Amino acid sequence: MSTHKQRPLNGYHVIFLTQSAMIGTGILTLPQKLSSLGYSQAFVPLLFGLIACLTMWPMIWLNSKYKNDNLFRINEKLLGTWIGKSINIIIVLSFIIFLAGIISDYMNLIQTTALTEQTITIPVLFFLLLLLYIVSGGIKSIARFCIITFFLTIPILYFLRWSIEKGDISHVLPLFNFNGTEFLNALKEGYLSILGYELIMFYYPYIENQKKAFKHALIGVWISIILCLITTLVSVMYYSEWQLKNIEFSVLHLFKAGELTFIERIDIFGITLWVFLILSTVAGYLWTAKKGLDSIRSKETKSHDYIITILIFLLIILPISQELLERLFKLSNYVVYVLIIWPMFLSIIHLLRKKQVQP
Amino acid sequence: MKEKLFLVVIVLVSIYLAGCTAKELKVPLEDVGMVGVMAFDYIDEDNLKLTVAIPQYSPEAKEHTQIFSVSTDLISKGIVDIESLSDKKVVLNQLRVVLINEEFARHGKVEKSIQHLYRNPEVGNKVLIAVVKGNGEEMLKGKYPDKPNINFYLNDLLQPSINTAFNPNTNIHDFIYAQTNPVFDAIVPILEKKESKIEVEGIALFKGKNMLHSLPKDEALIIQALQGRKKLAPMNLTLSNDSKGERLMMDLIDSKVKIKSNKNFDTPKLTITLHIEGTLVEFKGERENSLKTVESTAKLENDINEELEESISDFLKKLQEFEADPIGLTESFRMYYKGEWKEENKQEILSKLQWDIHVNTSIMSTGTLK
Repeated sequence: MSTHKQRPLNGYHVIFLTQSAMIGTGILTLPQKLSSLGYSQAFVPLLFGLIACLTMWPMIWLNSKYKNDNLFRINEKLLGTWIGKSINIIIVLSFIIFLAGIISDYMNLIQTTALTEQTITIPVLFFLLLLLYIVSGGIKSIARFCIITFFLTIPILYFLRWSIEKGDISHVLPLFNFNGTEFLNALKEGYLSILGYELIMFYYPYIENQKKAFKHALIGVWISIILCLITTLVSVMYYSEWQLKNIEFSVLHLFKAGELTFIERIDIFGITLWVFLILSTVAGYLWTAKKGLDSIRSKETKSHDYIITILIFLLIILPISQELLERLFKLSNYVVYVLIIWPMFLSIIHLLRKKQVQP
Repeated sequence: MKEKLFLVVIVLVSIYLAGCTAKELKVPLEDVGMVGVMAFDYIDEDNLKLTVAIPQYSPEAKEHTQIFSVSTDLISKGIVDIESLSDKKVVLNQLRVVLINEEFARHGKVEKSIQHLYRNPEVGNKVLIAVVKGNGEEMLKGKYPDKPNINFYLNDLLQPSINTAFNPNTNIHDFIYAQTNPVFDAIVPILEKKESKIEVEGIALFKGKNMLHSLPKDEALIIQALQGRKKLAPMNLTLSNDSKGERLMMDLIDSKVKIKSNKNFDTPKLTITLHIEGTLVEFKGERENSLKTVESTAKLENDINEELEESISDFLKKLQEFEADPIGLTESFRMYYKGEWKEENKQEILSKLQWDIHVNTSIMSTGTLK
């Protein structure tokens, strides 16, 4: 087996790692997040895709200068050990909160739709155990899980059939019916849904064919963008503007439109299948957080996985006030936003300190 | 080896520890009462009478349906009250039909009540809504000796079969969609209890938060034709142009509609083109025996066109008087409007609206006899 190679990720792995990390809970609420644009949101994911491409380029460029280092090491090299480490701590902490946010969002959703008479403690526990199992196999096992996730979940698209039949394509017109503030609002709220591609900064050293990494990652990004586009387009066709604004999990209601004689509630079916998408997203982040902890403590042990998982579990289960949690989740989102622009800043430093730093 | 032992211990411990968990209070299936039909009756502004029908599966019971009725101000409180009347846990997962009586539709908080159901994750989307003439509770309590159970009966009645396809078949999503979309006004079928039968009587036109008017069946057919539904109910017409009162019945095979606006918001005008294809099933009148040539059929098609154009035009005028639009005519103006489209925009366009209607009927066949 090739698991023990220095650079285990081939092209397909990169495509699906990028793709799966982007599709998670975000897409469920995407039409609602973009609702400040009303019906004009339909083609906004394309714009997001463009932004993603533009911001990914500096990431890859920076990484290609340090072929064997992930972002944590690059931080330390470029900014010095102390500043670098402090930044890494912030990244790891915010990743942990971010992870807890994704998982608790999804679990709360499951709780309100599928398991209405139960608390979520035990489902969360099982979810985290499964997650640990996937992550303990290393980045390649995550990549493989992402591939299988994609092919297992893509048939869900079929369930959109009924909403497309019922929907009205004329809602798409007029195009660009919004003003600047509405757009910025939607960008701030909605861009979160397509985050995930920035993880490439962390697994780049494991990519076999680093010259083509950008191309492969782009394919992954655009697969996700097209899925987002389908979601927003069908939502726009099917809903009224009020519904777009007020239905939190619009995708769920899209499934509800389904009419199969042998399945009554397709939405429950879809939402439980969604666990694959959440797992694949979260696995990437957990692996990254673990690598971060490794680099902060300058040693690699498996126990870091466990420590992070326990932290996440506590964050979800402990009776922390919902308000504080929401604020933490929001904060971690902003850190991830900053992370997208971070490589541009690092690239400038790299150019300035080129001679002093040994790649 | 050590790891494997550890794993075995963990598995064993967790299996045995599972016995220590508090017993979960899950209700067994026999003890769940699945509400099939719900009826809201108007009492006053704040209160409503909530009636539910729950199928009774026990073979020992004489009746196949349990019916409970409470008056309440909140729907969910009503459900809880019903639970204390019932021997079962009442759940809404199998809810299929919501009946609202006409008074409630006209004066009650219809939108809010339906929204409450729309929000509830237990309730599916296939819940059909209907307005009841008279009293919903009576309809549920009525005796229908040749029907298995009121739950099935109502659900089957409201399902769109081809002959009752004029029935707008409004489910929760459709209702909320039409209510909240400024282009539309919602329509809901009206049921009426007649001795031991229930009849789909027409449709209720909503405006704003409440029911405005009831429309007869043939006008419902026009609404659906103009909304672009492909399969329509059979159409019966009385040709009035030659004042001979010829009657005919057509089975419609296909219908296509194109609505184009002139994009002018000051003098709005719509061009509506309706193509319908069908077979002539029955004809009664002077020309009965002369409809054998191509020319005579063409002449008949022309007559049908004119008749339809006139009745559509009359109907649109009626809508203008009501200031309500179940068809969504203003959608083709909204498509070209920059900014937020509001209810007022619709009213403005609708009041000034002019139209041009072209109907193209083609009679595919008149049966196999010469």
